[in-house]
Amino acid sequence: MKLLVLVLNRFFWFFPTVVGLMVITFTISHIIPADPVAFLAGDNASNEQIEALRRQLGLDQPMHIQLWRYLIDLTQGNFGNSLYTLRPISDDLSSRLPATLELTFMSVLVSAALGIPLGVISAVRRNSPLDHFLRIFTVSGLAIASFWFAILLQLLFAMDLGWTPLQGRSSGWGPEHITGFFVIDSLLTWNMEELRLSLSHMILPVMTLAYPAMATIVRFTRAGVLNAMNSNYVLYEEAMGFPRRVIIWKYVLRNALIGTVTQIGLIFGILIANAVVVEAVFDWPGLGYYAVQSILMSDYNAIMGFTFVAGVIFIIVNLIVDISHGFIDPRESR
Amino acid sequence: MEMFRFIVRKLVEDRVALLGVILIMALIIAAIAAPVFSTFPEDVADFHPKNRLLEPDSMFWFGTDRMGSDIYSRILFGARITITIAVVAIGASVLIGVPIGLVAGYYHGWFSEMLMRVSDIFLAVPQIVLAIAIAQTLGPSIENVILALSATYWPFWARLVYAETRSIQNEVFVEASIALGASPFRVMVMHVLPNISSSIIVRTTIGMGGTILTAATLGFLGLGAPAPSPEWGRMISESREFLPEAWWYATAPGIAIFLVVMGFNLLGDGLRDILDPRIRRSVHRDK
Amino acid sequence: MISNLLRVHDLRVSFATEAGIAHVLDRVDFTIAKGEIVGLVGESGCGKTTLARTILGVLPENSARIDSGVVEFEGENLLDKPSEELSDKIRGRAITFIPQDPFSSFNPVFTIGTQIMELMKWKSPARDDPYYANSASRFWNGYPSTRYEADKGRVLELLREVQLPEPEAILAKYPHEVSGGQRQRLMIAMALLPEPKMIIADEPTTALDVTIQAQILHLLRTLARERDVAVLFTTHDLGTTYEICDRVTVMYAGQEMETAPSDGFFNTPSHPYTRDLLQSLPSREHGIKGIPGDIPALISPPGGCRFHPRCTAASERCSVERPDHTQISERHNVRCFHPVAHKSVGAAS
Repeated sequence: MKLLVLVLNRFFWFFPTVVGLMVITFTISHIIPADPVAFLAGDNASNEQIEALRRQLGLDQPMHIQLWRYLIDLTQGNFGNSLYTLRPISDDLSSRLPATLELTFMSVLVSAALGIPLGVISAVRRNSPLDHFLRIFTVSGLAIASFWFAILLQLLFAMDLGWTPLQGRSSGWGPEHITGFFVIDSLLTWNMEELRLSLSHMILPVMTLAYPAMATIVRFTRAGVLNAMNSNYVLYEEAMGFPRRVIIWKYVLRNALIGTVTQIGLIFGILIANAVVVEAVFDWPGLGYYAVQSILMSDYNAIMGFTFVAGVIFIIVNLIVDISHGFIDPRESR
Repeated sequence: MEMFRFIVRKLVEDRVALLGVILIMALIIAAIAAPVFSTFPEDVADFHPKNRLLEPDSMFWFGTDRMGSDIYSRILFGARITITIAVVAIGASVLIGVPIGLVAGYYHGWFSEMLMRVSDIFLAVPQIVLAIAIAQTLGPSIENVILALSATYWPFWARLVYAETRSIQNEVFVEASIALGASPFRVMVMHVLPNISSSIIVRTTIGMGGTILTAATLGFLGLGAPAPSPEWGRMISESREFLPEAWWYATAPGIAIFLVVMGFNLLGDGLRDILDPRIRRSVHRDK
Repeated sequence: MISNLLRVHDLRVSFATEAGIAHVLDRVDFTIAKGEIVGLVGESGCGKTTLARTILGVLPENSARIDSGVVEFEGENLLDKPSEELSDKIRGRAITFIPQDPFSSFNPVFTIGTQIMELMKWKSPARDDPYYANSASRFWNGYPSTRYEADKGRVLELLREVQLPEPEAILAKYPHEVSGGQRQRLMIAMALLPEPKMIIADEPTTALDVTIQAQILHLLRTLARERDVAVLFTTHDLGTTYEICDRVTVMYAGQEMETAPSDGFFNTPSHPYTRDLLQSLPSREHGIKGIPGDIPALISPPGGCRFHPRCTAASERCSVERPDHTQISERHNVRCFHPVAHKSVGAAS
């Protein structure tokens, strides 16, 4: 019952938040620039062209009507056309979305698979050399600029050692398009060569993205485990002689993970943000790369489209995290 | 003052946090004394095609860039940009966020609810994405980077101050001063604010590191100060054309960013460890 | 001579704290016989919880140190045993535990059933039964399915014995969904399920409502008696001690002062501290009468008998030398150079 209320409450706030996001992008694109039309038309447009464009875009209308039309357009997925690809921005974004999602999901997977056990071990062996090393390692992960780290990895592994591809998503044609996720598509078509290619192209970008995410997970898991180990239920479980590995990897970890899971939303934010520069460095044909190209082209409709889509993804992820938190923590759910 | 001394004493004991302080001091000294320490101060603007892309040696400690300028000197002057962006952007975010959080936390009503919803919407978008959108619209310059960062970072402080205000507002000393007829403004500034200042200090310190990273990212994407500004992110972006031969090109600016962000993160962690028990001791919270 | 199930001798335990080393237990002697219910009485901070945790072997690893002494259980010194063996064979098997706070001692994110069956998986008496050894494991968790079913039957049976309604339904619930009294009944059931020789109950009712404290204690006493299980019961409540314990040991500032059968303890207290403690109980004749002075700091405790600074009978010798046991009667020992002469002293009313 409580869970249902929670789910409904989160869904209820989903729509106002998305509308709020639209208002923000509207403000940035229509109110901040002194003359958005001149901005849109570019530097070489004549006065007549600008006026024609103004009428065509409805920018001669009062602000509240513009806002209303903007909301309607965005709701229908109409972001305008890209100056860079000359295609509808929504098509561009949707064709690039799988590449970014594949990269981010893989990074979440890797960072959680490494970060959670490392966080537990770090807490269990508190103040051991390993714990100190992990502290330095995680603090560095949060301080390193991901674009710089990406370049270092390229220098070392791709250029110097030649172990990994330098950039791109696949050096072949890519697997037959089914979902747009190369790993899934090559598995579905049982194309092992493409699978190998897509995975090897993913190594460096995923390392770059997963490092700060993993650092965050290690820190939160460590704190959560330490907190749980000081609890009365662990004292009870120890006093009743439960095997230590069962106490730590089942009873303590489950409690600690409740805190870590809520951080996945935060981590996803870091990943999406870093994806912009990481995709740019690795020429990864996803949303981030598209955004950087749009920056270079001063294609601001495309940037607004990217901002909006990135925001909506982030809102959805947080919605899922909030709701799953309700399922994971029994105290929230009944 | 007593609290300041307490913090300093504790910081000296905590070696890791002290390292953070040293790194931050190094940044500040580098920024202020850049003309003194730099070996080729005029290289920030001038270029010498003859010296193009030289490896580090006794003359050019960190090598030279594509314009033949000394990277070491440019790094020192870049510290000025870094520190200006971080201090002004964070300062503006604090000035916007703290009053909003105080007001929303102190009063209960639709207006508070609305303020917090607005900041939630800002927090619903990854900061860098929003900053990119704003900086792109405004055009590349340091001022616009600062504007973009302040416009995206204030909700962090609003959220924090809101939560902290709500949690101490039923404390005896707050209720007592209200009962004694103190004005809401006086209660907020004289009683609430001092009691939540520790959290604000910790958040601000850690926020400095994050802001510097975001600013460098904007610079890397070409949204920061235009060339030939010695902005660290921009320097790394320039280096990409000359890899892998000019391996030193990106090295020094990358390490500079790393050390400075590290400095603020370490100090922030240390301050949190120091101030947290104090918060618990001086402010008794119900649950 | 009754043989001892547990014998603690000359036990000294200290804790590293920020202010310095705290000498929490000082040369403590303590025994408990098979099937005996012994109350360990003292003010908070007197070391009774530390004694309980030392016997169980679950002192905090980083801060606590055992400086000397033996903890003999069935003639074997537990302090010499490797921690894996203690964890596997002693804790939760031969000696079980009932915690002080049934609210926080259950893991909040697992159902009660999961936690009880986890206990049974490792600690069920049927674990050593060769009959189950070769049966197929249940799911993936290495719990033989026939033993699981048998253990579950025993669990349900015992939940009925501790008077929990609808045991099946309770197993499916999370800890926060049942009341405090029910949780403590569950804790009692979990302490009895492994068929231990001894239960250590650390202030098992302080977190509960006064109205159900007595019920819980009598339930514990009845079930322990039926099974001939010894109970070490720590408390600061003299009244309940008198009601349920066979014998009482009183502790003060990390030293045990007097050990006596309940009747002797309440009617003929021989240690000045015990006498003062009993007089501090509210009574009709003299109201409430406190003991002058404060409990000493354990960082730099008084030498000799730690009660001497507050003791009316103290002599020079008391401040330098810890008194040895003086036998008053059978099973009644006092560690005092100047024991109180047995006349009529105010008994617990």
